[in-house]
Amino acid sequence: MKTNENSRRDFLATTLLAGAALAGCGGNPFTPDEVTDIKPSGEMVKLLSVDGEIIEVDKAFLKPVPEMPSVPNAEARIGIPGKKFAMVIDLSRCKSVKKCQSACNHMHHIHPGQNWIKVYPMQESEKTAPYWQPTTCMHCDEPPCVKVCPVDATFKRKDGIVLIDSDRCVGCRFCMAACPYSSRVFNWEEPQIEKEIADKPYSCETSVPQKKGTVGKCDFCPDMVRQGGLPHCVSACPNGVFFFGDILEDSVTNGAETFRFSDLIKDKSGYRLMEDLGTKPSVYYLPPVNRNFPFENNEKA
Amino acid sequence: MEKLAENKIVEDLLPQKFGRQGQIWVVSLLAVCALGFYAYCRQLYYGLEVTALRDYASWGIYISNFVFFVAISLVGSLITAVLRLTDVHWSTPLTRIAEIIAVSAISFAGLIIIVDMGRPDRFYNLFTHGRLQSPIIWDVIVITTYLFISLLLLYFPLLPDLKIMIAFKERNGKWLQKLYEFLGSFWKNKPEQFKITDKAINILSITIIPVAFAIHTVTSWLFATTYRPGWDSTNFGAYFISGAFLVGAGGVLIAMYVFRTHYKLEKYITDDHFDKMGKVVVLLALVYLYFNINEFLVPAFKMKKSEEEHLMGLFTGEFSPIFWFAISASMLIPIFILVFKKGRKPKWAFFAGILVVVGSWFKRFLIVTPTLLHPFLPMHDVPKSYTTYIPTWEEWAIAGGSLAGALLVITFFARIFPIIPIHETIIETDSHEKA
Amino acid sequence: MRKHKLIQLLVLIILLVPNVLMAQAVEKNTLSLNLKYFNDNNITHHLLVQAKSKIDGKFQTIPNIPVQFYIGTETDKTNLLGNGVTNERGEAIIEIPATAKEAWLKSPNQNFVVVSSATKKFDEGKGDLAITKAKLKIDTAEGKMITAKIVALVDTVWKPIAAVDVVVGVKRLGGILNANETQTYPTDSATGGVIAEFKRDSIPGDLKGNIVIIATVVDNDKYGNLSSEMIVPWGKKSVYMTNFDHRTLFARRGYSPLWLELLAYTIVVAVWSIIFYLLVQIKIIKKLGVE
Repeated sequence: MKTNENSRRDFLATTLLAGAALAGCGGNPFTPDEVTDIKPSGEMVKLLSVDGEIIEVDKAFLKPVPEMPSVPNAEARIGIPGKKFAMVIDLSRCKSVKKCQSACNHMHHIHPGQNWIKVYPMQESEKTAPYWQPTTCMHCDEPPCVKVCPVDATFKRKDGIVLIDSDRCVGCRFCMAACPYSSRVFNWEEPQIEKEIADKPYSCETSVPQKKGTVGKCDFCPDMVRQGGLPHCVSACPNGVFFFGDILEDSVTNGAETFRFSDLIKDKSGYRLMEDLGTKPSVYYLPPVNRNFPFENNEKA
Repeated sequence: MEKLAENKIVEDLLPQKFGRQGQIWVVSLLAVCALGFYAYCRQLYYGLEVTALRDYASWGIYISNFVFFVAISLVGSLITAVLRLTDVHWSTPLTRIAEIIAVSAISFAGLIIIVDMGRPDRFYNLFTHGRLQSPIIWDVIVITTYLFISLLLLYFPLLPDLKIMIAFKERNGKWLQKLYEFLGSFWKNKPEQFKITDKAINILSITIIPVAFAIHTVTSWLFATTYRPGWDSTNFGAYFISGAFLVGAGGVLIAMYVFRTHYKLEKYITDDHFDKMGKVVVLLALVYLYFNINEFLVPAFKMKKSEEEHLMGLFTGEFSPIFWFAISASMLIPIFILVFKKGRKPKWAFFAGILVVVGSWFKRFLIVTPTLLHPFLPMHDVPKSYTTYIPTWEEWAIAGGSLAGALLVITFFARIFPIIPIHETIIETDSHEKA
Repeated sequence: MRKHKLIQLLVLIILLVPNVLMAQAVEKNTLSLNLKYFNDNNITHHLLVQAKSKIDGKFQTIPNIPVQFYIGTETDKTNLLGNGVTNERGEAIIEIPATAKEAWLKSPNQNFVVVSSATKKFDEGKGDLAITKAKLKIDTAEGKMITAKIVALVDTVWKPIAAVDVVVGVKRLGGILNANETQTYPTDSATGGVIAEFKRDSIPGDLKGNIVIIATVVDNDKYGNLSSEMIVPWGKKSVYMTNFDHRTLFARRGYSPLWLELLAYTIVVAVWSIIFYLLVQIKIIKKLGVE
């Protein structure tokens, strides 16, 4: 069933500075042929090495990656090669501080009142324990929203991320009806964004700027990942609820702690939401066990 | 049918100028359309913000109106194709009424979909970027196809009538004469020509049945291909089609009555027609009732958690008044009226027809909105106004405008073309005589 | 919920109506600039500044602050390393440029300064940082052991440094996966080294089974942030699978399942050829009429 795509899987490339581009710096342990995936930008910068020597480095190999323009939307439709992203949400840590939500809203300039991340007060039945359940887009492997999109405006990438092209979306809202996780929101009116941002060309990877009459949703922040960072919700959470990672590396991190994904899911009995629907989400949940704080719902019903 | 002279038939059935009533009718429809157009301009300017649609109730009366239009358009295939193929001749005078209802409804179904879009300016994306996997694309394809077939089915039987009308040059006036000549100056009543049209009508009658089933089945799939309680049903295609035949037949009852009384067509649309059409409506209402019982009783018996909120909302909750109104108005009461011989007299049948159509419109609303307001995860982290759906005046105006528009198309059609096929009526009368 | 809304509102006001703020004589906030030094794999090195300010009793990161980085002191303009503007996370970065060679080689101890001029909303800010040049070197030893050693420049000699916490692990997306149960190791007083056993067997590597092991020192008062990486063939060879180019219902345009295409096109062609046939019939009727 599955095709082999080995040639794209050279994740080491992203991690190492290009030895080839270094001048006057001997004894580099890394052979340049390891570096296959990062394309040199051709733009060299003169830097000072730690040893005080002048070296020339291609801009594309700098680390941390400098603020780069977002990738063209044609490339954003394919995804980051050799990756398959996943998220783990530890319900035992969530106190509904909602820093994830405010960071997400802020960074994506979401319309006031709407949220891409929702934090639900959950209680399965009268006598079972209440808990907080943050939801993002599930980035399903068999996404029902993508199935129904008439114009390829929402699409599934190689790296598992489901994104929206707001320049393509016709606003039929079939995807919103199809999503069982209610993770999609609609721009009912002209988004209230400052002009400077609203005038930027739309990028599928940043989902900014949102456009009137189109659908928006959590995008797993691939722009942050390209820069070597983590999605905004992950870094914003003070309790380390969100873990993000590449499932092909078998690890997830919340920034402070890094776990082997398979061990974490095994040890803590991770699960996914609405498994019976067959959507195969990329977001896993760890059950709300051993919480050392009370469930306090101060929200108005 | 009583014996009628050919020239009497022609005289009776030729399209007539609008009388006083007709003018008031047209002007009021135009006024409703204008209001709808104004509301749509507001929507274009401010975005769908002017509607009450929000992230949960993301589809509302535009979509239920769309489903209603698609449903009522199915009648074209019922009256013309199904009855023609089963060799039922009493329906001949009704075929053109049914076909124009179909053409007008399916055109407005397409329009209302564009109205519902957040970005109507990108409509062309459906063609330049269309994905065959999406049921919306299937819908676009079948609706276009159905429109074409319905137009052809309207056109072929019209050809002999055009020849008759072209003869009345004085009466027609310049523009209409030009239109008639453009459409049918080549029709010479030659037997070869008749042979071709007879064959063409037969082919169309056969073709339109699967296509008609397809438009409404695909429309039902816009809902049934999702997971949501109330939509996630294997019954949906049949449920929609049976409902569509019912509302279409109800629409024909109304149109029959209106044309009969307004154009004094008592000799052509007879009490017998109402009697037979009434029986058809009873049968269709019973079939639809059967599918409704399937659609609601089976999930209600199980009461799965995800379905429970939705079903209870319909049975006893916030939607129960509309639910029970729709069930009784579209099925129970019409059955009760039309099951009696007296109930199948024109006036009562007309009343039953109105009940069917109005009840069916609300039934479509109940198919769309309550499901969206009962998502899998509870409604949360949204403004309070997002958790309910009460359509705004703009939505009512646009929906009303589209209904008025559809009626206008039918009205103007009846003004321009004979609403009862003249030629076919003559043939029928002749064959009666011979018999 | 209410508080959250208030913050949103506040952010909105700050973002959307700077003019209003300007019109009113609003008291300016003080800006704190937190400067950090990073040695990346002993090759390049960079500075990172994060701008924060206490607004409404809460520290918030401040974007769009123009900053200048200096080596030594900011009074001498020849010491300028470069300029930057804080991004949406309130951070700005500068790689140490070639022009700083002379200043850098002067002393084993270095001083960095970052300054921001006053803006409409904030007073000018300043942050500085003193570091001692140090290097962290990662290596491996017999039996899948990872070793790392810190040396710092004392006068002109690189000397081992004791009691510095070193994190040793496998480099992963966004984080470091510990080599075993222990996360950090203090360096030994004699050698300045740490040793950690690699216990992440069968961790996925690249195509050849290579993984990157990494040792880092995080936010050390004296040496800043140091990191050192190395590739070792200790991982499991990975196989990358994707169904991106498969014909599925959720694939892109042109990649719909064959059964669907077959079904759809058959129906469309059949029905439309009938329509086409009938249009031709109309043409024939026309011809018959004209004759």
